[in-house]
Amino acid sequence: MPRTAPIFHFNSERSMLVEQTIDRVCSHTRDPLHALNDAAYWEIRRLESSKRKRDQAELAEWRSLSRKLSRMTDAQRRERLRTLVATYAGDIAGNFDPRVYGLTTRILPSLVTGLLAPGSLPGKLRHPQDLLRLDAIADKVVVEGDTARLRKLAERGTLVFVPTHASNMDSIVFGFALELSGLPPATYGAGKNLFTNPILSFFMQNLGAYKVDRRLRFELYKDCLKSYSCVLLERGYHSLFFPGGTRARSGAVEAKLKLGLAGTGIESYVRSLRAGSERKVFFVPATINYLITLEAETLIADYLSEAGKARFIIEDDESSRLSRVVAFVRKLFTMRGAVVVRFGAPLDPFGNAVDDEGHSLDARGRVVDTSSFVRDVTGEVSVDADRDAQYTRELAQGIVSAYRKNTVVMATNIVAAACFEQLRQQAPGADLFTVLRIRDQKVPRDALARLVLERRDALRALEKTGDVILAEHVRDTSGGDILAQAMSAFEGYHTSPVIEAQPDGIVLRDPKLLLYYQNRLSRHGLAFDPEAPTRNPRNTNAGAA
Amino acid sequence: MKPPSVGVLGGGPWGLALARAATHGPCETWLHSRRQQDADVPGVRVTRELAELAQCRLILVAVPSNLARSVASELGHHLDGSHVVVHGIRGLSGPELTTVSQIFREETPARRLGALGGPVQADELAAGRPSAMVVASEFAEVAAAVRDALQSDRLQIQAIRDLRGLEWASALVGCLSIGIGYGQARGDVSAGLLAALISRAVDEAATIAVAAGADENTFYGLGGYGDLLASMALVDRPEVVLGRELANGVGLAEAREKARLRVEAVELVPRVVAFAKLNGVDCPIMNAIAAILDGSGDAAPITRALFRG
Repeated sequence: MPRTAPIFHFNSERSMLVEQTIDRVCSHTRDPLHALNDAAYWEIRRLESSKRKRDQAELAEWRSLSRKLSRMTDAQRRERLRTLVATYAGDIAGNFDPRVYGLTTRILPSLVTGLLAPGSLPGKLRHPQDLLRLDAIADKVVVEGDTARLRKLAERGTLVFVPTHASNMDSIVFGFALELSGLPPATYGAGKNLFTNPILSFFMQNLGAYKVDRRLRFELYKDCLKSYSCVLLERGYHSLFFPGGTRARSGAVEAKLKLGLAGTGIESYVRSLRAGSERKVFFVPATINYLITLEAETLIADYLSEAGKARFIIEDDESSRLSRVVAFVRKLFTMRGAVVVRFGAPLDPFGNAVDDEGHSLDARGRVVDTSSFVRDVTGEVSVDADRDAQYTRELAQGIVSAYRKNTVVMATNIVAAACFEQLRQQAPGADLFTVLRIRDQKVPRDALARLVLERRDALRALEKTGDVILAEHVRDTSGGDILAQAMSAFEGYHTSPVIEAQPDGIVLRDPKLLLYYQNRLSRHGLAFDPEAPTRNPRNTNAGAA
Repeated sequence: MKPPSVGVLGGGPWGLALARAATHGPCETWLHSRRQQDADVPGVRVTRELAELAQCRLILVAVPSNLARSVASELGHHLDGSHVVVHGIRGLSGPELTTVSQIFREETPARRLGALGGPVQADELAAGRPSAMVVASEFAEVAAAVRDALQSDRLQIQAIRDLRGLEWASALVGCLSIGIGYGQARGDVSAGLLAALISRAVDEAATIAVAAGADENTFYGLGGYGDLLASMALVDRPEVVLGRELANGVGLAEAREKARLRVEAVELVPRVVAFAKLNGVDCPIMNAIAAILDGSGDAAPITRALFRG
């Protein structure tokens, strides 16, 4: 990858980006009193529950500000606003260290492979040039999709990658995928909590991540984030957003997206048009598919616990425990095709398809002037927040549909779906939690292999209509082989066995993890969908229909 | 600044009425019609070229529902993303019950789409009698453009966001109007019973449409109830005529002739029933209308439906 992408010059531009963000936020904050009051309210609320000394000092400061605000002049409030925004913008802006980037993308994969699979290390050391090659992970992380087209588009505009989000490994894996495909690196917003994660923070700090503090809930902070992201896009920084907002707890492919940052795509495009230098923005949906997921156990437990649904930040999952990460990576690197990153067809910020040259296309494939979507009835390019919010909702529908079509089905998904169906048949009509309590159900191996095959064939039919993708290792494989692949993937990573082979059949040991892995297919109608709406809540006779 | 022009596509009574209404507004008005107009509409420029019509940024489409796709497909060649396209077409197309705005989404580059609905009648609009209509669009600027072009002291326009809901409401009101004509013509259906049936029918229609992603509130507003109430008084509404004729024992083919205009609801009712069944929605009134249409039922199932559950 030629080192021409703007991110390679990030450090020299950093202060300018931060300054521009501060100017923008301050200039469009119409009512500083309201903005500061709102920030004070949320911050006092957050800090009151903390016992930490630093937080207590901060709390006192906010309380004092809150008391003084009404007596301050507008100029004083604006000054205070600027100081605050400067703090946030400075905090958000991250680092990008080209040396670390080079190290992680070129040497580290081989090194990690070597360290985790000690057998191969002596060989690698005898041929040190191998350490500089990405081939070592090339067959572990498989990249699919029209990357040639994306490389062309990267030269014609700003790429915004919007992948599915299942694991804290995602940004690292995605970074590798970009490098493997000759695509430029992308900057991204990562939860600030990840920067305190000893394992991940090194990567986060230096791979172009900016910090998102999810504890800060007030508008002013969100405004800082959006403005920073918008400034980056305008300056041509290819970006990465996880529009699911957080890792999918259930294991399913996201159906609902958070749109805040995605909306900056239109804003940056409109700003470039109005400045007389059109810079197009291309959204690239992608799926990151794992044979096994690092945090599967924590995520599904969190999904299932009512309290968990509100728990947005998990500080203590597998990704913060070195032994788990090592076990996971070791597992990953022993299996071919264990991770598949698949790029979908790019979209413009309005959700239209685009061609190789970056022209917007309508549903009939005609080229349409992209700027026409932001022209009002008088033909002028206009800024219209209401209009752009609707376009962004429609873009989100396009992304969700791309997720579904580009989901890469792994052996673990198919086997879990077949197993979970067996569990449900043990308790017909029972609710999810009853099914999850079924322990150690035994299914004859041949019968299970047959069910797996049936499901795979149904998926193959879906693949023919373009509604899903099968991983290479399951497309033309027998049911028994798919079952064996899944068992060997599960084995040795999860703390307790998911399914277990016994002489007289397969024992279904962990219904929760089976639910987690089968959920990946729930949007395709080929696995139980715990989130399917009750058929029609308004209709009392629905059950009988 | 010169106000943008408005183009009306369709030279039937509804299209002419919209064009007339637009002449009361500030915009230059164009009408695309393939028919030889008997009389020119004062203040309206008539064209036969879609390319010329596409000079207008706001386009109101008023063609019969069975022509929606072919018209959209042709129009699509002349539009770009800056056009605002609003249709006044009652109907849901094909077994998938595709809305007309979805057809325009599929066939044209226009994204800012909307629909007109509500109780307003073509003749009232054309004659400039006070009336009310609904415009629905997910884009606020679409509703604003329609209001700018059409709203006057004689035409009140209510704007809602629920485009899908309004399109479903308009189509289902067409279906239910057959039931109204039928009920009115039956000696054994009293005014009170008819009112009860209508209330129940609106609730049922809302439940069906919610399964299709609509907002139920749309059905209880001008685009649902409002539109249906107009059917009570409109003895010449084709759907009402058809229902009345069927109640009088006339066969479906003959009843359709008497209705004069094409009643799309005849084909729509069984498709709605199938959709409801697929989605687990109980719809006794729609079932009863389907039975009336295929000749297998009479008023009894409708009244029975009312007292079920």
